[in-house]
Amino acid sequence: MRAKLVCVLVAMGTALWTPGVIAHHSFAAEYDANKPVTLKGTVSKVEWTNPHARFYVDVKDDKGAVTTWNLELASPNVLRRNGWTRTSLNVGDEVTVEGAMAKDGSKMANARVVRLADGRRVFAGSSGGDAPPPAN
Amino acid sequence: MMRISELALPLALSVGALVVASAQQTPPAPTSPAGAGSQQRGPAPPTGPVKRLPNGHIDLSGVWQGGGPVGDIKMGLAKGDTLPIKPEWQKIMDARQSKEDPEANCLPTGVPRRDPYPWRILQTDTHTFLLFEGNIHSYRQIFMDGRKHPADFDPSWYGHSVGHWDGDTLVVDTVGFNDKFWFDFIGTPHTEQLHTVERYTRTTLGTLVIETTIDDPGAYTRPFKITFTARLRPGEELMEYICNENNGYVHHITGPAKEF
Repeated sequence: MRAKLVCVLVAMGTALWTPGVIAHHSFAAEYDANKPVTLKGTVSKVEWTNPHARFYVDVKDDKGAVTTWNLELASPNVLRRNGWTRTSLNVGDEVTVEGAMAKDGSKMANARVVRLADGRRVFAGSSGGDAPPPAN
Repeated sequence: MMRISELALPLALSVGALVVASAQQTPPAPTSPAGAGSQQRGPAPPTGPVKRLPNGHIDLSGVWQGGGPVGDIKMGLAKGDTLPIKPEWQKIMDARQSKEDPEANCLPTGVPRRDPYPWRILQTDTHTFLLFEGNIHSYRQIFMDGRKHPADFDPSWYGHSVGHWDGDTLVVDTVGFNDKFWFDFIGTPHTEQLHTVERYTRTTLGTLVIETTIDDPGAYTRPFKITFTARLRPGEELMEYICNENNGYVHHITGPAKEF
């Protein structure tokens, strides 16, 4: 049962997460939906720019070494139409990010869900071109 | 969507740890409609009757979404039809890399490709304008004053367009394209011989059907027809979108375009 449920979730996740048809570039050409990543760390920079908004997260490993990840979102226009603003996420915020890793192995990912430390969801919206509404 | 979220098996995380889950492991369950597509989001478009301009023609104005190929132009073919691409151009297409896609490099979509951003139709007595928010925050101008195509022109991204009315359908005839843009993400090609005839029919207040005949004897063995539908976005306004502002990551795109 559990295996079946996981299969269903994988299938549905893939179906929901194939947004290439609405992106400015092919999602599949830059990110691998089969390589989900979850990052927990501190926002070090936010770029509210076209063609994609981006933010950077410093992630510490168990030994204290810091890796900076580059997270891609939809465009500012798409995010704003869905209720997010350039101050929805700020430098210093502690976040958990769910996304898809870049195919080329660099420390880049497409951010799908972003949560603050208190569990509130802030602008999650991949470069697939859309974002969920700001309801938590 | 929420139910899926509630069903999700929580992904075990330790504070400060980075977890990379493979496809064989439990993935983070989708908790949002991200990726479902802006064209599917929001209220359904209005379905009331179309309006007419003082000159009697159909009022096509409004902010629209979609109406052309994005991922694969074949999605607009009639059922059973195939893309009549010449073998030598199929080879060229197959060799194209996603990172070369002009649209990903902040260059115009050309015709008939669309992008994921809204666009507006603006009609005057002498011109019809298509104003694009997205790539590349540019416009098409369609001459409605009865003029013909020029005998000589410099090939361009949007070509030279003249329009006329066929009943309640706006017919836009365009030549003079360059060969630089792609029809879609997968790199469907064309040559400078491209000639398009678009037929814009507003079937309801909120629905614009765009049927395009593509005639390019350079890359195709016969003309073919595609149909896409644009949806009205009531109350929407175009916003500024300057693609080149920060497009420094195209080099991360990998792989053949055909694998989109």
